[in-house]
Amino acid sequence: MPLESNLIQIFFSHIKREFLINFRSLIDVISIISFMILIVTLFVLGIGPFEEKLKFVSNAIFWIGLILAIIPSLEKTLQRDYDDGWLDQTITSPLPLEFILLSKSIAYWLIIIVPLLISFPFFVILLNISFKLIPWLFISIIIGGLSISLIGIIGSALTLGAKRGNILLPILIIPLIIPILVFGIGISETITINESPKGNLFLLIGFTLIYLVISPFISALLIRIAVSR
Amino acid sequence: MLYLQNVTIKRDTKIVFYNWSTKIKNSKITIISGKNGAGKSTLLRAIAGLIPLENGTIKYNNDEIFKDQIKWGQNLIFIDSKNGLSKDLTVYENLKIWSEMRGWNASDDDFQKALNSVDMIHYKKMYISQCSEGLKKRAALSRLYLSILFDVKFWLLDEPTNELDKKSIILFNKLIQKFSENKGTVLLACHELKLFDFNYELLNLDLLKK
Amino acid sequence: MFDWLANPNRFNRITRKLQPFILFIAIITLISGLYFGLYDSPKDYQQGDAVRIMYVHVPSAWLASFLYFSLAISCVFYLVWKHPLADLVSSSIAPIGALFSALTLITGSLWGKPMWGTWWVWDARLTSMLVLFFFYLGYILLSNAFERKIDGSKTASVLAIVGLINLPIVKFSVDWWNTLHQPASIIKIGGPSIDDKMLLPLILMFFALSFFSLYLIILNVKTKMIEKKCEALLLKSNLEEIS
Repeated sequence: MPLESNLIQIFFSHIKREFLINFRSLIDVISIISFMILIVTLFVLGIGPFEEKLKFVSNAIFWIGLILAIIPSLEKTLQRDYDDGWLDQTITSPLPLEFILLSKSIAYWLIIIVPLLISFPFFVILLNISFKLIPWLFISIIIGGLSISLIGIIGSALTLGAKRGNILLPILIIPLIIPILVFGIGISETITINESPKGNLFLLIGFTLIYLVISPFISALLIRIAVSR
Repeated sequence: MLYLQNVTIKRDTKIVFYNWSTKIKNSKITIISGKNGAGKSTLLRAIAGLIPLENGTIKYNNDEIFKDQIKWGQNLIFIDSKNGLSKDLTVYENLKIWSEMRGWNASDDDFQKALNSVDMIHYKKMYISQCSEGLKKRAALSRLYLSILFDVKFWLLDEPTNELDKKSIILFNKLIQKFSENKGTVLLACHELKLFDFNYELLNLDLLKK
Repeated sequence: MFDWLANPNRFNRITRKLQPFILFIAIITLISGLYFGLYDSPKDYQQGDAVRIMYVHVPSAWLASFLYFSLAISCVFYLVWKHPLADLVSSSIAPIGALFSALTLITGSLWGKPMWGTWWVWDARLTSMLVLFFFYLGYILLSNAFERKIDGSKTASVLAIVGLINLPIVKFSVDWWNTLHQPASIIKIGGPSIDDKMLLPLILMFFALSFFSLYLIILNVKTKMIEKKCEALLLKSNLEEIS
């Protein structure tokens, strides 16, 4: 059977599946967006409505809000498939598990990107983000989102079947995510002081590429461990 | 032939199979029986490649199956009590995506026939989360029909009849007969042997242990 | 080599002979290190006697990083060769490594008070050490998060290896972040300008702490071995009672 020629089709059918599962109803999208906006609101309420102060921290709030909003949905991504026995089916299918996990992370990336892009205008308005930052933030969300979802899949695979996985997951994930935050904020900061953000951007891309290579293998290893229980 | 050679399988610290060899004939139906905890599911999961062998090899027609997991995956269907159906998808979507995932170009007609073979055609738009256990099992078994069309050689079925009613068991028997006419090999774990009206080989795990 | 040492009986035999020596070296180097550190080394012209915290702080920091490295290596051994002893070693290293990274953070904070006037400064080294501490913590939490011990060991081993890949990146990114926000002004520790008189106790203390932790790790591994034996015996006697 010429499986290779079907790889793209198989890839898309995975992405379709993830979208069907996650976006069955509009409610899911709305809830993620509202969660993000609420996190930002909390920050701003904590800081106070001073524009000067807000200017200093808006980049940080933006990135932290983004990361915090994504983490809660991570735990379920693989756990659900594990409980259903879907992971057993993928392992016994004629495709390498690594490929399936790569398509799954990309699907997950697209899934978190959609609500992020919808909520982007809200962020810009609420945090008073300056105009010249917008395209760069846009790019850094898209790249950073990919690396967060690649690391997220590892985290999700680490906590498969673990007790208190929902609390454990952020503890394991956040130390791994620190570089994304640093480089992401680096991009916005350099723009604000009128310097070239290329250094930070390349570092972010490089970091993402490293995980693009290793994440499928690591999570496949973890899933094999989890399934053999 | 599926040869198991000097197979040792451990679960946690317990040794379930120790240095055990057996063979399973091609184009035959083999029923694995044994009391609870005898290792029926463990054996099936090990052959499916879900549990790593501590020692030994499994060969299918002289090829070690785990050397080329992709080739083995093409030959294989594994269904156990978990079914592998996503709760948030309908019966039809589950079957369709499952077959797409294996790279099969099944037509809509094929899906209809597959669902018909287990009498699920009326439930095709139902979400799995709304299905009863019996319906879920039938939805999972609908893959068997598709697999005959796409030239799968091996069925590994763990307790497939547990949730089925009488009518579905007849349908299941028909599927098995159709498969063995196509020279398919079935490996089936079950403790109720009287449900089946076909010839089978028996692999009793209680006899070979200790 | 590892396979040869991985035999539990041989491990016991060899370590029984080695243990007194290790402890001896640890005590000798500790005493001499403390002597040189506390009495026979110059005060810093800026920091005064507070500089002596360094003789605990810096060796702990080295050791915490070194122990994480060995933890990850032993996890590789466990995952590849599946030898249970490698798991015992890594799970014995983890709490000790966590202890030393905590010690680094605490002494760093004690040092920070006279130097910078605050208990905590977000300097790059301390921040990376904090992250390292969380990697240790993650390892320990994850290895205890499963119903069966073996699942926890395997999963946590993978985490330790991911950490090994990720930690240098974190270290780099934190340094990067630091230069971005406050162009270097903090005094470099262990730089080339350090006095020989200060270097000697530093190295002595490093050896003292390394040998001490080696001693603790061996003790820990042995305890875990005995625990395992007890469990096996208990299981056996339970089974005999049933049948």
